[in-house]
Amino acid sequence: MNELYQAIEGRKDLKGKMKLIGIGTGNSDFEVDFFRKKYEVPFPLFSDEDYEVHKAIGEVRTPYFIGVRLTGDGKAEVFYSKLGGFSNTNKFLDLMVKSSGL
Amino acid sequence: MITKKKYSLTWIMALLVIFIWSSAACGQSPDFKENIYDVGKLKPTDSELKVKVGDLAPDFTLPAVRGGEVSLRHYRGKKNVVLSFVPAAWTPVCSDQWPGYNIAKEFFDQSEAILLGITVDNIPTLYAWTNQMCMGGGKLWFPVLSDFYPHGAVAEKYGILRSDGVSERALFVIDKKGIIRYIDVHDINERPRLEVLVNELQKLEN
Repeated sequence: MNELYQAIEGRKDLKGKMKLIGIGTGNSDFEVDFFRKKYEVPFPLFSDEDYEVHKAIGEVRTPYFIGVRLTGDGKAEVFYSKLGGFSNTNKFLDLMVKSSGL
Repeated sequence: MITKKKYSLTWIMALLVIFIWSSAACGQSPDFKENIYDVGKLKPTDSELKVKVGDLAPDFTLPAVRGGEVSLRHYRGKKNVVLSFVPAAWTPVCSDQWPGYNIAKEFFDQSEAILLGITVDNIPTLYAWTNQMCMGGGKLWFPVLSDFYPHGAVAEKYGILRSDGVSERALFVIDKKGIIRYIDVHDINERPRLEVLVNELQKLEN
């Protein structure tokens, strides 16, 4: 995930337009903070200790990726929603760019 | 209707990753979760504790997944010990709890503590389960012990064997003198928070 963040930040066409956010479901602030420091995670991580987010999105298994398009008029459109990680960062990023229409 | 051209000038995209800290670090495959048996909601606790804080921890010797046997008395005078009993392999909460401890090794090291993971499962089951926990190639740094035969004898000795034959989700912190300093017989449906255990370990440093 750190690699994905660096890939996003490294592309001038995406910088400031694509943001990465992590949600630690069932994890406390302490656990998420420990994780963030230990693995030097450069993007924002939030704890979802009471599974509120997890329940809202359908109690998915993890890791789970959701791509959201924020249209500037208060709307948020999901354009990608899938279980599982990825092995090729650039391919995944290309897929996100293509899927979002950015 | 909003056209693509119109909002392409203003939108930004947010990519959310939902994760569990322990599994994300351990490189756990999502396939792992396909093999987790959903036990549903269980009675929070179902046993009567036979030890208390201040007692000498009952000694035991159990076979370890990596081979050989581990005895509690071997750590006397050398290491503080955390016993982490979890109910069963291949069940939801247990499959997140130990990978969490696996990435938090430094907290145990700082307090000169060893962690002993114990379930009532047999060795082959524990072998498969713990291997699956770290698909990224890592291994659990702590011994995993089988309290399978005589069934749940150690859990019974501590008073945490439930009526259905699995153990409670329980933590015991034992100091270098062999004295029990902390007990948490946790709601079996929930994972104990790391910070609570870390706090108890830090107390041993003083």
